[in-house]
Amino acid sequence: MQIRFVAFAIALQFCVSEFCVLVFSQDMPLSEILIDAEDWELVEEGFKFTEGPAVNAAGDVFFTDVPNNKIYKITGYEGVTTFVKDSHRTSGLMFGPDGKLYGCRRGLKQIVAYDTEGNATVIAEGVDGNDLVVNRDGGIYFTEPSTKQIWYITPKGEKRVVDSGIEKPNGIILWPDQKTLVVADTAGANLWTFRIEPDGSLRYKQPYYTMRLTRGKEGSGADGMTVDSRGRLYVATLAGLQFFDTQGRISGVIANPNDKRISNVVFGGSKLDTLFITCGNRVFCRRTQATGARYFDAKSN
Amino acid sequence: MRLLSSFVSLLSICTLSSALTAEEYQLGPDSQRQDGVPVGKVTQHQWTNSEIYPGTERDYWVYAPQQYDAAKPTCVMVFQDGRSYMSEKGQFRTTTVFDNLIHQGDMPVTIGIFINPGVVPPSSPDAKGRRNRSFEYDSLGDQYATFLLDEILPAVSKTYHLTDDPEGRAIGGISSGGICAWTVAWERPDSFRKVLSHVGSFTNIRGGHVYAALIRKTDPKPIRVFLQEGENDLDNLHGNWPLANRQMAASLKYAGYDFKFVMGTEGHNGKHGGAILPGSLRWLWRDYKPQD
Repeated sequence: MQIRFVAFAIALQFCVSEFCVLVFSQDMPLSEILIDAEDWELVEEGFKFTEGPAVNAAGDVFFTDVPNNKIYKITGYEGVTTFVKDSHRTSGLMFGPDGKLYGCRRGLKQIVAYDTEGNATVIAEGVDGNDLVVNRDGGIYFTEPSTKQIWYITPKGEKRVVDSGIEKPNGIILWPDQKTLVVADTAGANLWTFRIEPDGSLRYKQPYYTMRLTRGKEGSGADGMTVDSRGRLYVATLAGLQFFDTQGRISGVIANPNDKRISNVVFGGSKLDTLFITCGNRVFCRRTQATGARYFDAKSN
Repeated sequence: MRLLSSFVSLLSICTLSSALTAEEYQLGPDSQRQDGVPVGKVTQHQWTNSEIYPGTERDYWVYAPQQYDAAKPTCVMVFQDGRSYMSEKGQFRTTTVFDNLIHQGDMPVTIGIFINPGVVPPSSPDAKGRRNRSFEYDSLGDQYATFLLDEILPAVSKTYHLTDDPEGRAIGGISSGGICAWTVAWERPDSFRKVLSHVGSFTNIRGGHVYAALIRKTDPKPIRVFLQEGENDLDNLHGNWPLANRQMAASLKYAGYDFKFVMGTEGHNGKHGGAILPGSLRWLWRDYKPQD
């Protein structure tokens, strides 16, 4: 251990240039995330198509079974309980700074917010949202695959299109500092990255992350995403749960534990160190060395 | 106090260790200022309106030797991670080496362009910028070559008379900047034909491990390449640097390239590459005949 420390100190001493600092500070291998003795555990099965895992302030994870019109809650003591009985095919979910659960209610073409009792308030109508992200100020970005558009709803509730043209925009997430937006293209090989301007608009669109593809498939199948406290980004794909370092370099692919495709991912649990993935009729979890990042935990400016 | 004393002892260990390794690879006289050798001029610039990499900002420096003659098309050499290569106290001290070698007639009069990687700055001071170094350097394809040819070289050409002769255009870099140099020449041998790679990342950061395979089955390109590598270089999630460079060297040999491969004992740094920079540049620029 001491030798390693000294070697690191020497490396630091020589590393005056940018390339070296990056090399030593940015390597984020699988071994820094996974725990040897931990594997995926089945949380529950028997659903039709699970999606939208979201974590609240207590670390409880909520998810949706889209065709069955249900939203469920997972807690450590009670297991899986029903939170919303008629969700109108709600898809992507995320908790906002007000403690409400925001969702894309596809059946009614609405963006809604569920209170702690599961009662919905309509935030926007006439939009076919698939997945969404809610920032610390209550602003919402969501994807609309049918129109290849990204929408933004201001904290005051005004909605507008902020990007168009991604072939099949699906998962959507923010960096922990909430000033960079990332959108997954299910049909393509890249995750698209944007700078968020003070008024919420998007600039400098770039295919910053390039995913591993499954042999014989043109598209990544990229779907839901999450980020951890160190800025690593995780994306559900056909090839497995891929994760990237803060320079957009693919750093590992965590194997899918079953034969159904992974649709989405979130960090949950009281320590926020457990990955939850939704996979067709099942939900799995796996404890890790990483810690998730929740946008409502960050101080508002 | 205990913390302070252990810090002091750590420092002394570091100093001792660096002194031991420093004996192995030292900067020679060609990397130091010599009396009577004309000192070139370095100017600093910023590039903030890239169309190839929208939103990126970066510094770059342009070196011109005193022997520069605006009437003649002049050779050019580009370096990635420009600040590291042009620093007067760094591991490479490239402008000093250029001054000495040009004065000795061991390399042609050459304009040096030292470019930092781009960053998309954040829209507010409490956020992080999007660092574009890996995207620019590790990606395969012609995007970085196009950035140089469409943006940076035309900008420098407003001040200096650069040659269009691809044999008179060289490019070098360290780590990801090394594979970047190779990618530029591989994509655009009509524009760059001399490559200098220090501990080059011919590994799978963004797919660059395929070059060793591609080279063997591709009609050889007119590229001259100098590869420096170290036995104690990285072995990490992206690959094994010494093995990757050996594979590159073996493929260049198989395909009949004009190449030189030097394996040292250092790790992922510029100590060895810096110490042998004068010889590397002599080898790269040997037999160059300027076009008048």
